[in-house]
Formats: sequence, C-alpha cells, structure tokens
Amino acid sequence: MQIFPIRPFNPPGDIPALRQQVRDLVARHESRWQLETRANPWFSFDAEFSKALGAAGLLAMNWPKAYGGHERTMLERYVVLEELLALGAPAGLHWIADRQTGPLLIRYGTEAQKRKYLPGMARGEIYACIGLSEPNAGSDLASVRTSARRTPEGWRVNGQKVWTSGAHRSHAALTLVRTEEGSERHAGLSQLMIDLDTPGVTVRPIVDMTGSHHFNEIFFDDALIPLDALVGTEGNGWKQVTAELALERSGPERYLSSHMLLVALIDAIGPDPEPGIAQLIGRLTAELWTLRQMSMSTAAKLDAGEDPVVEAAIVKDLGNAYEQALPRLVQAAVDADLAAKSDLSRLLVWLLVQSPSYSLRGGTPEVLRGIIAKGLGLR
Amino acid sequence: MSDNRQLLADMAEGLFAELSDADFAGAWPRLAEAGFSTLLVPEEKGGFGGDWVDVLAVLRLAGRNAVPAPVAEPILAHYLLARAGIDAPEGFVSIAAPGRRVPWGRHADWVVSVEDGKASLHAADACMFVEGVNPAGEPLDAVSFTGAPIASAPCDHDLAALGAFARVAQASGALEAAFALAIEHVNTRHQFGRALAKFQAVQQAMAEFSEEAAAVDAAAAGCAAALDGLDEAGFEIASAKLRTNLAIDRATPIAHRVHGAIGFTMEYALNRYTRRLMSWRSEFGNDAFWAERLGRQVAALGGKGLWLEMTARSDRLIDAA
Ligand SMILES: Cc1cc2nc3c(=O)[nH]c(=O)nc-3n(C[C@H](O)[C@H](O)[C@H](O)COP(=O)(O)OP(=O)(O)OC[C@H]3O[C@@H](n4cnc5c(N)ncnc54)[C@H](O)[C@@H]3O)c2cc1C
Repeated sequence: MQIFPIRPFNPPGDIPALRQQVRDLVARHESRWQLETRANPWFSFDAEFSKALGAAGLLAMNWPKAYGGHERTMLERYVVLEELLALGAPAGLHWIADRQTGPLLIRYGTEAQKRKYLPGMARGEIYACIGLSEPNAGSDLASVRTSARRTPEGWRVNGQKVWTSGAHRSHAALTLVRTEEGSERHAGLSQLMIDLDTPGVTVRPIVDMTGSHHFNEIFFDDALIPLDALVGTEGNGWKQVTAELALERSGPERYLSSHMLLVALIDAIGPDPEPGIAQLIGRLTAELWTLRQMSMSTAAKLDAGEDPVVEAAIVKDLGNAYEQALPRLVQAAVDADLAAKSDLSRLLVWLLVQSPSYSLRGGTPEVLRGIIAKGLGLR
Repeated sequence: MSDNRQLLADMAEGLFAELSDADFAGAWPRLAEAGFSTLLVPEEKGGFGGDWVDVLAVLRLAGRNAVPAPVAEPILAHYLLARAGIDAPEGFVSIAAPGRRVPWGRHADWVVSVEDGKASLHAADACMFVEGVNPAGEPLDAVSFTGAPIASAPCDHDLAALGAFARVAQASGALEAAFALAIEHVNTRHQFGRALAKFQAVQQAMAEFSEEAAAVDAAAAGCAAALDGLDEAGFEIASAKLRTNLAIDRATPIAHRVHGAIGFTMEYALNRYTRRLMSWRSEFGNDAFWAERLGRQVAALGGKGLWLEMTARSDRLIDAA
C-alpha cells in the first residue's frame, strides 16, 4: 500500500508564459504594497489588484464561460495561485470566492444564484466568506446551532458565526445552518448564501493578535433570508461542506504563507553564507520543494476527478508545520534585531505573530491527523 | 505505469521477496541473473534500456523487502561505465562511495570510482579492503587502490548524488514496509482492553508517520522525473536526500515507539528496515552535507531566484512529459 501515489502535474498550454503574465501583473501593482501586506498574502486585501486579476482572466479560470469563467484547467489555476503566493501579492479579497464559494455554487447552486454571484466573482468584484465556525462549534463543526426556519416569506435565521475571515469586506457568506428543528450532528444541516447587507445581519470586528482586523463575528437576529438563498438540497449541508473543505486543503496556500521571509533571509545573508545559515536555507528549500511536489500531485488528482481526502490532509498538515516553523527557525538561527526596520526584521516579527493561525484556519493538526487515521483504517 | 515497468516491478517483487532471508552468496547470483545491473544501460549496449523511474521502482521494492545484497550499487556502476564508454566486465561491480567506502566491497569483483572528473574501473586484486559494516550489518568496506585501474575515462557525473538518489528510493520502500508493520501491530496488539489503534495518541502518531513516508515518496518521484527530464538534477537530488533524512529522523522513532519492546528484538522484522534507514541517512551525504550544499546553491540564486529556478526546472519537466 503506497500511502502517497504520485500523479504527474502536466497542465496544458504555455506554462512559462502564464507565470510571466502573473509576474508582470504583480510588477505593475507592487509599488503600493507594504512588506507586511505581502506576507501571508492570501489574507491581505487589495481590491484594485483583485479586479486587475479578474480583468486579466486570472480569476474563475476553470469556471464555465457562461458565468464569466475561462474554461481553463485547475492546473493552470494552480500555477497562478502559487505565483501570487510566492511573489507576495495580496490576493485575499477574492481568494475564498475563487477557491470554494464559486465552485460550490457551480456545483450545487441554482441558475439564479449563479447569475447573481459568479460573473462578479470572476471580475474580482464580488467577495465571499465562509460561515462555518460558531462559538461552540470549532473542530466539532457538526455541533453548529445557527438555525434557519422556513416561513412563507423566507428563512428566519437566528444565531451566530465567528472567526469569519473577511466578512467585513465580503458581499455574502455561504453559511451552514440547521434547517431542521431538533436535528443533531450531521443531519438537518443546509447551506444558505446570505447577503451581508440583509437587515438583521450584523458583522462585528474581532482584532487578532497581530493587531489586524481580519476576522469577524456575524450575528443573525431573526434575519429574513429569501427562500431561494438555499444552496443545493435542504438537509444536504454536511455533504456539501465536506466537498467544499476538500477544495481548500491541499493548495499552495498551505505551505507558502511564510515564503516572503525565506526570500528576505536569502537576500539578507548574501551569496556566501556561513555554514549554519546555509544549512538552514538548504533545509527549508528541501521541505519547500518536497511540499510542492506533494501539493502539485494532489492538484493533479483533483483535476483528474479523484477524491484525495487523505493526501489533501497530509499536504495541509505538513505544509502548515513547515510554514509555521519557518519564522521560528529563522529566529533561532539569525541574530535579528526585532525592533529594527530591515525587511528581514519586519517580516520575521510579522510572521512570528501571524503564524500560529496557520494550523488553525481550515482545521487543526489533530483534526487533519484524525482524517488521515480514518483513511488508514485506524478509526 | 508502462507495461514494461509493471513487468519489471512484478519480477523484482517476486525475486526480492524470495531473497529476504538469503545471504550474499545465495542472493547475488539470482540478482545477477535477473539483470537489474544493466537497468540504465542502453539496449544497443546490451542493457535493459530503462530510465530513472524504472530504477526508482526497483530500488523501492529492494528497500521494501530489505534485500540483503547489493541492488543499487551495480546499477550505478554499470551506468557510469556505460556513460564513460568503458566496457563492463562480468561479475559484481560495486562503487566507491564518498570517503572511499565500498558497499559490499569484500564481495566485489570490480569497483568503479569517480574522482577528479574521471571514472575508473578497478579490479578487485588491485583493491585493498579494510572491512567494516553499516548499522544494518551490511558490508561497508574501506578501499585503497594498490594498482592502476583497468580503465579510466572522463566522467562528469556526481557519484555522491546518484548514490543519494538510490538511498532515497530504497528508503521510500523501507519506510513503507516499516509503516505496514506498525499498522499491523497497532491493529492486533491489545492493551487496556482494546487495540492500540483505538487510542487517539496512537492514531495521531501513525498519521505523522504516514506523512513522512508520503513526503519521501513524493521526493523520490520528483527526483526520478528530474533525473530523466533535466540535464542535471543536483537541486532535486539534494532536496530529496535531505528531506528523506529528515523523514528518517522523524519516522523511525514513531515506528519503534508504537511497537514497544517487540520491535526492539532481533527476531521481529522491524529492525531490518529501521537499521537500514539509519545507515542510509548517513550514506551518500548526511543532513548537514546536503543542507549546506543546497543552501549555498540557493544563496547564489538569491531570494527571488529560488522560486524562479524551482519553477523553471519543473516547467521543463512538463515539456518533457
Ligand atoms: C485566522 C483564522 C481564520 C479563520 N477563518 C475562518 C473562517 O473564515 N470561517 C470559519 O468558519 N472559521 C474560520 N476560522 C476558524 C477555524 O476553522 C477554527 O479555529 C478551527 O476549526 C478550530 O476551532 P476552534 O478555534 O473552536 O478550536 P477547538 O475546536 O476548540 O480546538 C482547540 C484545540 O483542541 C483540539 N481538539 C478539538 N477537538 C479535538 C479532538 N476531538 N481530538 C483532539 N483534539 C481536539 C484542537 O485540535 C485544538 O488544538 C478561522 C480561524 C483562524 C485562526
């Protein structure tokens, strides 16, 4: 039993030219980006850049043309994503819509929902967020309690979501709710695409420990949500969410979040490093290269219609561990003045404080290893 | 997998499984007869005409079966001879690894060395061996050459790198075998009234183990593809060997931990894999060796250059596919 059979990554078309297109676009915008904006780039926002990507045909790349997409492959999209991350381009505003909300609507949404959201998402103008976690439902997502009751006028939604990344900049939240009163666990859940400007829906900021306003709470106070906001089938929410999560686990964003610090380290050290630092750079490179092989192979499996649940969990767990260890390893090896204004110091400080979140967003190591153990038949 | 490669793998699997309890004298003639040695020698030179992906398939199986005889060394030796245009002799040809250590040297009829840009073929009677063994108990003999080589020719291959690839391939198989033993063990051994596998701490440890084995599989495959598709694969080999060494560091303790005392016995099979993994971590470059070499290469590329180089290299492999 080979745990991780490899599938070669063979996207069609002129891939070097595609990379160059992204690199040129980044070069045209990068002068306005702060260093901190470029670290952890899929959590940083720049609406102008998101729109520029849309205009260049670099969003919604594998969506149908009828909804503003470009009918290219997931693998070409993968190349664009890894370039954006490696170059430190703030791509956070559209990231969720492009990665999971759009694809979920394509798969489960009604025609009206597709028309309403997808073209704007493809232009980089409509943004979405993920309404899963609640105060009492984190790792144990099946214990969500936010309820939606069907009435003739619409869904009456009550409850609260929390840790919702980018809700304050998003137009809609794909929200997991309990549509069957008294249901437990995986049963009776559904997904609603809730416009965040609906009366009775309140988004409140939560300041994270970097001092940023990135995530939020969303409160639903008897909010009336149109009946046709139901995405997919009533009661099928758990299955749909599981499919959604599979899209988000194995991407390049699971190991490149600290890449800008590696770039800064190499530049700060120069072409003739002392052995200890050379070894650190070598070790980080070896892990980076291997993770990229694993992530590309998993992308190729997704593209081929396989369902690599275990592989995706492996990539995320190993990738998070790498991108999280990177700032700590740099801190241990380089005598950096943390109060200095050098690129290396600023990035190091920012990522030291930012990186604990990497292994929380999208599922913790314990949850991922639980998924792997299940795949191995141990539970 | 191509049909040919499947046939090759089936043959290797069958033979290696039979040889797992043999000694050198019993195993070598069977290996020689099967013809693995010429895997990388072109067909027109009488070889199998395979590629590095074939080598990976065979060496992975050799590692998985803990074959107690040289499989990798003659493949590399015959490859180097063919590349250098030196006629290959009959018999067992080994290689002089860095530090002039020859795996299975005392049994070798010939030894190939690569030094100062030249590949040389030495007859055993011009070699003086001081016997040694690796942690797995396999011969790893120090050689000094007491006479002139039979033949020498220019050769720009890096034997340390090719050997490192071989150890990566073998390690991927050995990790899988150790992992399979551990899975079997935690599913059957009961403590506190249930199978070990039912304890969350054990599940999490096994998941970590699987991640490390997965990383080595990915590294080995990426490396074989680079050896086949690029002019030189120094970057990929350094990355793969170093990542493999890290995986050995992380995974072998888990293998032993979940086994308890039974895994520490000579009789139980686990040590066949873990002692070899311990050996291979040092052979053809330990962590520090490859980390420093790779780190210097990357430092010369510059911060952005690392990404540009890494993607340019893998994009060339798309074209090659
Ligand atoms: C920066 C950031 C952005 C986020 N963005 C979003 C978002 O956009 N939308 C959204 O819905 N959520 C978001 N989240 C929430 C994220 O999904 C949760 O934080 C995560 O699922 C963990 O849940 P929790 O925080 O409640 O921790 P808990 O579930 O309480 O876990 C705490 C600890 O207990 C461990 N634990 C829990 N259960 C078990 C178990 N059965 N066995 C062993 N260990 C266990 C966990 O592994 C963890 O170590 C975000 C989080 C962060 C940090």
